[in-house]
Amino acid sequence: MFCRTICRILVAWSILIPAGSQAVDATEPLADARQRFTEAEGQEVPDFQRHVAPLLGRLGCNGRNCHGSFQGRGGFRLSLFGYDFPSDHEALTRGAAPRVSVANPDESLALRKPLGLEDHEGGQRLSEGSWQHHLLRRWIAAGANPMPRGGHRIERLQVEPAEVFSESTGEKIAVRATAFWSDGTAENVTSLCRFQTNDEHVARVDEHGVLTVGEPGDTHLIVYYDSAVVAVPVMRPAVSDSAGAIIAQSGRTELDRRVLTKLNKLRIVPSEICTDEEFLRRVSLDLAGTLPSAAEVERFLADGSSDKRAAKIEELLQTPAYAAWWTTRLCDYTGNNEQRLNNIDGIQANGASDWYDWIYRRVSRNEPYDRLMAGIVLGTSRNKDESYNDYCAAMSAIRRGDEGVHFFDRESMPYFWARRNFTSADDRAIGFAHSFLGVRLQCAQCHKHPFDQWTQSDFNGFKKFFEAVVAGNARPSPQSKRDYEAMIEELKLDEKKLKDNDRAKALAALLKKGRTVPFGETYVDFQRLRAKPRGRGKAANEVRAKILGGEEISLTSGEDPREAVMRWLRDPANPYFARAFVNRVWANYFHAGIVEPPDDMSLANPPSNALLLDYLAQEFIAHDFDMQWLHRQICNSDTYQRSWQSNATNRNDERNFSRAVPRRLPAEVAYDAISRATASDARASDYLQLVAGRAIGIAGSSGRLDRGGNNGARFALQVFGRSTRDSNCDCDRSMEASLLQTVYLQNDASVLAAIADAKNSWAQQIAREFTTAGEGDLPTIDRGIDQAFLRTLSRHPTPQDLERCREFFADSRSARDGLSGLLWALLNTKEFIVNH
Amino acid sequence: MAEYQTCDRVRRRDFIKIGAVAGGLTLTHFLRNAAAIEDSAPRATSGIFINLGGGPSHLDTFDLKPEAPAEYRGTFDPIATNVPGIAISEHLPKLAAQADKFAIVRGVSHTLAAHELGSRYVNTGNRPLASIEYPGIGAVVTKESEAFSDLPPFVAIPNTPQRAGFLGVQYSPLNTTQTPKPGAPFSVRGISLGNGLTIEEVERRQGLLRDLDRTFGALHEDSQLLEGLDRFSQQAFQIITSKRAREAFDVSRESPAFAEPFGKEPFGQSCLMATRLIEAGVRFVTINFGGWDTHQQNFTRLKTRLLPALDTGLAALFNGLSDKGLLSTTAVLVTGEFGRTPKINSRAAEGGRDHYPRCMFMLAAGGRVRGGQVLGGSDETASQPAGHGYSPADVIATYYRNMGIDPTREFLTNSGRPIMIVRDGQVIDSLLA
Repeated sequence: MFCRTICRILVAWSILIPAGSQAVDATEPLADARQRFTEAEGQEVPDFQRHVAPLLGRLGCNGRNCHGSFQGRGGFRLSLFGYDFPSDHEALTRGAAPRVSVANPDESLALRKPLGLEDHEGGQRLSEGSWQHHLLRRWIAAGANPMPRGGHRIERLQVEPAEVFSESTGEKIAVRATAFWSDGTAENVTSLCRFQTNDEHVARVDEHGVLTVGEPGDTHLIVYYDSAVVAVPVMRPAVSDSAGAIIAQSGRTELDRRVLTKLNKLRIVPSEICTDEEFLRRVSLDLAGTLPSAAEVERFLADGSSDKRAAKIEELLQTPAYAAWWTTRLCDYTGNNEQRLNNIDGIQANGASDWYDWIYRRVSRNEPYDRLMAGIVLGTSRNKDESYNDYCAAMSAIRRGDEGVHFFDRESMPYFWARRNFTSADDRAIGFAHSFLGVRLQCAQCHKHPFDQWTQSDFNGFKKFFEAVVAGNARPSPQSKRDYEAMIEELKLDEKKLKDNDRAKALAALLKKGRTVPFGETYVDFQRLRAKPRGRGKAANEVRAKILGGEEISLTSGEDPREAVMRWLRDPANPYFARAFVNRVWANYFHAGIVEPPDDMSLANPPSNALLLDYLAQEFIAHDFDMQWLHRQICNSDTYQRSWQSNATNRNDERNFSRAVPRRLPAEVAYDAISRATASDARASDYLQLVAGRAIGIAGSSGRLDRGGNNGARFALQVFGRSTRDSNCDCDRSMEASLLQTVYLQNDASVLAAIADAKNSWAQQIAREFTTAGEGDLPTIDRGIDQAFLRTLSRHPTPQDLERCREFFADSRSARDGLSGLLWALLNTKEFIVNH
Repeated sequence: MAEYQTCDRVRRRDFIKIGAVAGGLTLTHFLRNAAAIEDSAPRATSGIFINLGGGPSHLDTFDLKPEAPAEYRGTFDPIATNVPGIAISEHLPKLAAQADKFAIVRGVSHTLAAHELGSRYVNTGNRPLASIEYPGIGAVVTKESEAFSDLPPFVAIPNTPQRAGFLGVQYSPLNTTQTPKPGAPFSVRGISLGNGLTIEEVERRQGLLRDLDRTFGALHEDSQLLEGLDRFSQQAFQIITSKRAREAFDVSRESPAFAEPFGKEPFGQSCLMATRLIEAGVRFVTINFGGWDTHQQNFTRLKTRLLPALDTGLAALFNGLSDKGLLSTTAVLVTGEFGRTPKINSRAAEGGRDHYPRCMFMLAAGGRVRGGQVLGGSDETASQPAGHGYSPADVIATYYRNMGIDPTREFLTNSGRPIMIVRDGQVIDSLLA
């Protein structure tokens, strides 16, 4: 049979360890284990790390339901997903009832149980006389030795083919995996790997690494061996093209070209460019979190200039609404949650608003992303060289609201570290990885990450950077103690009698009287970083920490340990920092990230278009982390401006950005959209210039800190899934539709009032117009219908729409009723609540 | 029938449309139908969870130690109940008169002495972890149950610490946000027609909506969001215009004779609403009853306010469910986040008791629970379980079993991680008949 598989004999390198020696042993790799261990006896002794442990993984022994469970099973426990070789070896060979018997190998429980010769809850896993049986037995017979001290280090895992491209459903393709070790040896390990595909519809894989191609689409084959994880793209084009009818498209911008390279490969024809109405609505919602007003739509449609889309993007980038919406997103990623900031500096202060304002100031000035983040990563309460007294004087003035003093002018934003759920080094490592790297480190807290390279020792090395940061305490740093006590004495405060709330109240009262009061501090406690003496004649134990996937660093130099982490983030070679942000921004504009979910950047969850993500990240760094540059690139691309209308080749595409995928408006944007669509012309006019009073201007996570006095937002924001900013997950924001959202739109008293008779509502304004023109005045009705469409759907009604609406008005008790009914219907269309 | 993608990556049928097909189908009919299918495995089909926020003292309620030294014993005496051999606090006389309806689990023990952590544990059945948010019991039950299309499946009176967690927001409760007042009409935000709207007007608007909402046309086939929005639109209309949904929340519609025993306190009124909701077909109801954090004035607060309210409300709930024939199909669990220190503190004039997770109590009733029994026990000062004790996870695993849900089943998080419903619980067989 004619094989149409194009197996590019490029090589997929696992990007694991910065290679110490790139010299590849020229000798032929060892044959696969299934060939080398077919015989019961033989020269070669299997190795614990290279052969035995991976085989146990393949057989399922260390799965979470079997011996990998934290309680073990049947008195025998292995490390979950392997990789804790010493403890696994000990579990097999030591203890009251060792699982192996070197003296009498065939009596070993490790053989008898999986062979089914003895009661085994897990059933039979091995067949008598198989290579797996022989491999295990030969290892036991030779002494059941552990791996050499320090273990073997895998340099890379090479999987061939490096990319799979197939045109026929049902086609079978075998992959081969070769491990290259740091000692220069290489071995075919195909039989010892674990395999998985990320989309079973596109391709399935069996335990031997044989792929079966399924439906059109693209996915990845993931191969696991030792600590290596390798992703191999698998592509099955959407349509066959025997006649060569599908013409490869070339892109207008570099971004488009990278998208089209992939689409051409998959023979997906992208959708057309969207209409001006669609563009304006989409870009206003995505870039500035704001639904366009009727007047803005009319102006944009009337503009005849050829560069009006680029000009609109430029205009929106300069609005407060843009800064407010992206501040909201940055508060999501960094976890600005007022419940976790309760009374953090001892004065019952509102850290969430400071947090928001501090970021807002920098976004509106387009400060580079790396500098903005450095102010959070390196957050301390005191400015550089600021005395404790000066710090307290400055903070007292800020809290009093003194003219011209603002929190946002301070050098850094320390509240990220001060949150109540961010005090342990473990929580900080997990939260830091989420906020700045888009990496989920959680798994490695307790065991080898099953989908990534991280081990528990990587986790423990990384968290060391954060142990010495002291925050969330109402008290000063040790160096400030004397100044603090002097201040307390001067204020005549009795510290012993005043606990928590009473103390905070007393301080707040003094503050009001214009006094300078003491504030708590976020600082680095260098005491904790001092080398620990180990006794006479021995060098002191240094405190060391380890960059993820990088070097070990001594923390005893007297520098804030976070400086080293920040240097790593800024390093152009950092694989996460720029990528995570670029990808999150991308996910905001499209329905999904290039890596999806955006906060799961792991080896087993590769980008749908690596070239695209590389390009954006590299250029973002090259443009000095200029956030507006990034927004401009995306919004001006054809890729962003495509229609939601699909064609035969792309109707099922959701991951390659060949069309706009309809998606629900985010909570704050939806809330603001409802209020702008229903507000009087006068009130709706300046939404792009507004922050106060808008849902995108709310600082904390609950909607409680609405500074516009608009308390109705809280309920709606909860229903529409505003980010709870509580669990180190981008999924704290819900973008799903729900029944309650629809109930809200159809029947909530606040919405019904807004469309009927609320103060400053459009309904009220129009009612006045009808009073002047007369109830049944047709031109006024037509104008009302037209405006209602422009306000909600950002387009004029079609002739059928207009006809149907006139009927509805004729059938209504009053023009005013007709108008409320029409607004109700428009707010409840999918076209309104969906960005398209 | 439409399929929806849920966060566990499984396409499942959306809510079963019982109410829509046969509007008059009552719960009893529904249960009879369900029973016909699953005759061999009787189980509770609804649940009520009562959260005693703050952590009630076990020593002064359901685990008294009259023989203990005065600094432990406190001032309350035990009284006999209608079950020989079981005694509870003298301030719970109404519950004492029907101790045959519920089981007391003593010597429940854990190690989380902070309110939030303890509360998350008892509301989810899992010790909290930083890396994952476990779903509340109600969210799991909602996911695992069939529900009427014109009723919310999960209601919290007035709110609850139980969240949907990694299961996704669609399993979140509908919060009533307020508790009902005796005899006064009650409604929940958004679910009954407001602003003078009539059903006719809503239908007229729906007609216009259907005609205008056609832009996406054929795209529906390819978009679960668009299709889901259409379904929600129909369901919302059903709930809003449903007499049953509106009336279920309105405790003022209950007959005075039935309502009277529930008393006038918010907790009793919440219990009354819970019986109405369960009767109407709501699958899971939580009631929050806080104020049990009695670091000071433990005895005065218990005897004057907390215990009378608990006694009246809970006794009326058991009786009411029983009178309506619902107790055998409704699993009830009552618990705080921990017990309180056996030794009375002396910080104030009248001492109190502090947080104490090592020894606490829980109450279970309804469904397959064998009432009129005490399980487990504590030592002579109620300082630790006698014997091995139970964990909250054990009791909650049993609760799931009572509802016919396998507590060892796994759900996938949105990152594909499999998580057991109750990670570490052993079902307590003797609690169930």
